[in-house]
Amino acid sequence: MKHFTKLAIAAVVAGITAGSAIAQELYAPNLAYRTGPFAATGIPLMNGQADYLAMLNARDGGVGGVPVNAEECETGYSTEKGVECYEKTKDRSIVTQPWSTGITLQVLPKTNIDMIPILAPGYGFSPMMDGKTFQWAFNAPAGYWDAADMIIQFIEGQGDLNGKKVAFLHLDHPFGKEPLPVLEAAAEAKGFELVPIPVGLKEMQNQSAQWLQIRRERPDYVVMWGWGAMNAGAITEAVKTKFPMENMIGVWWSGHDADLAIVGDKGKGYKSISWSFPNADAPVMADIQKHVIDAGKSQTNDAEMSGVFYGRGIIISAILAEGIASAQAHFGTGEINAEQLRWGLENINMTEERINELGLNGMVAPFSTSCGNHTGHSGGWMLEWDGAKFVKVSDHLMPNVDSYAELANAKAAEYAEANAPWPVNEDCGG
Amino acid sequence: MLKDIFVTPFADMFSAPDFLLQVLWEGLVSGVLYALIALGFVLIFRSSRIFNFAQGIMVVFAALTLVGLHSFGIPAWISVVLTLGVMFVLAVSIERVVLRPLVGQPDIILFMATIGITLFLIGFGEIIFGGENKVMISEELGIPTGDTVLEPWGGLLILQHLDMTVVVVAVALVGGLLAFLNYTQMGRAIRALGDDHQAALSVGISLQTVWVLVWFIAGIIALVTGIAWGARAGVSFALEVIAYKALPVLMLGGLESITGAIIGGLLIGILEKLFEIYWGQPLLGGNTETWFAFVLALIVLLFRPQGLFGERIIERV
Repeated sequence: MKHFTKLAIAAVVAGITAGSAIAQELYAPNLAYRTGPFAATGIPLMNGQADYLAMLNARDGGVGGVPVNAEECETGYSTEKGVECYEKTKDRSIVTQPWSTGITLQVLPKTNIDMIPILAPGYGFSPMMDGKTFQWAFNAPAGYWDAADMIIQFIEGQGDLNGKKVAFLHLDHPFGKEPLPVLEAAAEAKGFELVPIPVGLKEMQNQSAQWLQIRRERPDYVVMWGWGAMNAGAITEAVKTKFPMENMIGVWWSGHDADLAIVGDKGKGYKSISWSFPNADAPVMADIQKHVIDAGKSQTNDAEMSGVFYGRGIIISAILAEGIASAQAHFGTGEINAEQLRWGLENINMTEERINELGLNGMVAPFSTSCGNHTGHSGGWMLEWDGAKFVKVSDHLMPNVDSYAELANAKAAEYAEANAPWPVNEDCGG
Repeated sequence: MLKDIFVTPFADMFSAPDFLLQVLWEGLVSGVLYALIALGFVLIFRSSRIFNFAQGIMVVFAALTLVGLHSFGIPAWISVVLTLGVMFVLAVSIERVVLRPLVGQPDIILFMATIGITLFLIGFGEIIFGGENKVMISEELGIPTGDTVLEPWGGLLILQHLDMTVVVVAVALVGGLLAFLNYTQMGRAIRALGDDHQAALSVGISLQTVWVLVWFIAGIIALVTGIAWGARAGVSFALEVIAYKALPVLMLGGLESITGAIIGGLLIGILEKLFEIYWGQPLLGGNTETWFAFVLALIVLLFRPQGLFGERIIERV
């Protein structure tokens, strides 16, 4: 009996110790994809994310003095595995980062019940911008409809679109189809012909049929919604078929340095809209070098660190950290929970001053979120491949959100109705 | 509608014959590449009755090894030789560690073992080489990267030198393979095992040696395929999915026939391209290549369950 009592006491003490150890961190798992056909784009993003949070942990002891546990759960970009990862991590997590439009769409209804905010910066379901309907979902600082609108604005800046033809080369996947409503509306409003050209997952590296279609259709522009191996496949085919690279524009996930490195000089002129830009001179890079790279805690390398995607990974974690900091300040506690983080993500105010204060100078444009605006609509820049790296070729571009706000509300309402009963945040005035 | 199906496509072909030639050329190049992958499957199946699920990842592994070795400063052609060495070691290891202990087990067990090999190579490859997209060392290997532009009937036909090289190398590889199988002792041993396992063993053919040999040949084919595909769009684990393109080729041509793999690959490459361009894109919104080959293979299987060139199995009880 004595022995049993000792055991019981030991178990209780161990439980308390373990419990306090768990409580002393903010568990922010990342549904990463470092393997599979999309790994080439995933790795630099995941490294950027992990290194920024590791830097905060090493330099500041985390966010507000509480370390962030950014454990990765590998999905291989598979929707099924992504959902498994969500289920596995949801009990402890204060946020879920699904990293795929397919996974985002699957976990979207679940987060209403589990009350965990989804953080999907620059991806996911575009009507998530309507925070009143999608109270748990955030895609700040920009959504796909922002990207589509900015690309069309940029093309229009080169001449009237009326009578022109725009091919829309996209992955045949929820991600690839996401901007179609905005592009179709723009085609109707501006009088250009939109030619959607899908690329199957198994055809990503052999797009000769798609580029034969482009040759036959003779579009004035090719807008690309590519991801992973599709980007390199499309760009090499564009070079091969002698399509003028300056008339090919990709979404931000189609602007990966390693994809363009395959064609090198031949890819000169290729463009990609982006809400982030790498800045090797930004103070945050020196801090990451000092606290993470030099300490041997990173998986990155010099070439990757100077690329667009690593920098974007940093910004994504910075947005999460800002959401956490905002919630900590508001609720007066370091150890915030998921519901408090939701409030924090709704109250991010990334002014130019704050961006510089965080050492992210020039890496992202100012934006703010609110109860009704979960996207932030930071806008971005048009980047161009100069044969060795991406450079900015535009001033700061802003999406014309008003042109599709009504569409977003309608799609959000449609989604809510299709998934009824769908909880709407009635307290949210916008 | 009927006009769109039966008249318009052919009118389009005749009105732009240069474009039709381009479609046929692209189909031929794809077909050659499909045939190469299918050959790897057929060789292993013929000699061991194993459907090698790992053929796709072997393509990735071979290409990554080549690029990885070169990144250490080893000259390109020496890297090729070393990569062949690695593929040989892989073949020996697979025979010794995976296949030998499973001799006599049902086919499904051996098939499952190749899934295990796939998962191992994915993990091992990612640990060693990382998952980033890498640039194939085409220039260092002397693979031409320019193009020849022709103007048939006043039109435009672009022939990539890379594609022309792939076709020539693939033809040479297949020719060499056929010569090896038909005119050498080891080649005849492989064929004998394919024809009748027990009879081949009874005349002293070593199962272990033949298995190592066929897996090594599959490794050589994987390396050539990896270089060809990698030169087109980089080397990454995404290359693995191209192995799935070989499945309808095998269904169409027959799992045991080298001729079937070659003709099946070419047929599917050309027909799926023609269908996609003249019927799929105008009438079905495109992306028919993901299913066309499977439908074609299924239709063939309805009439010839053994495939176009597969051996008809007659079992007497």
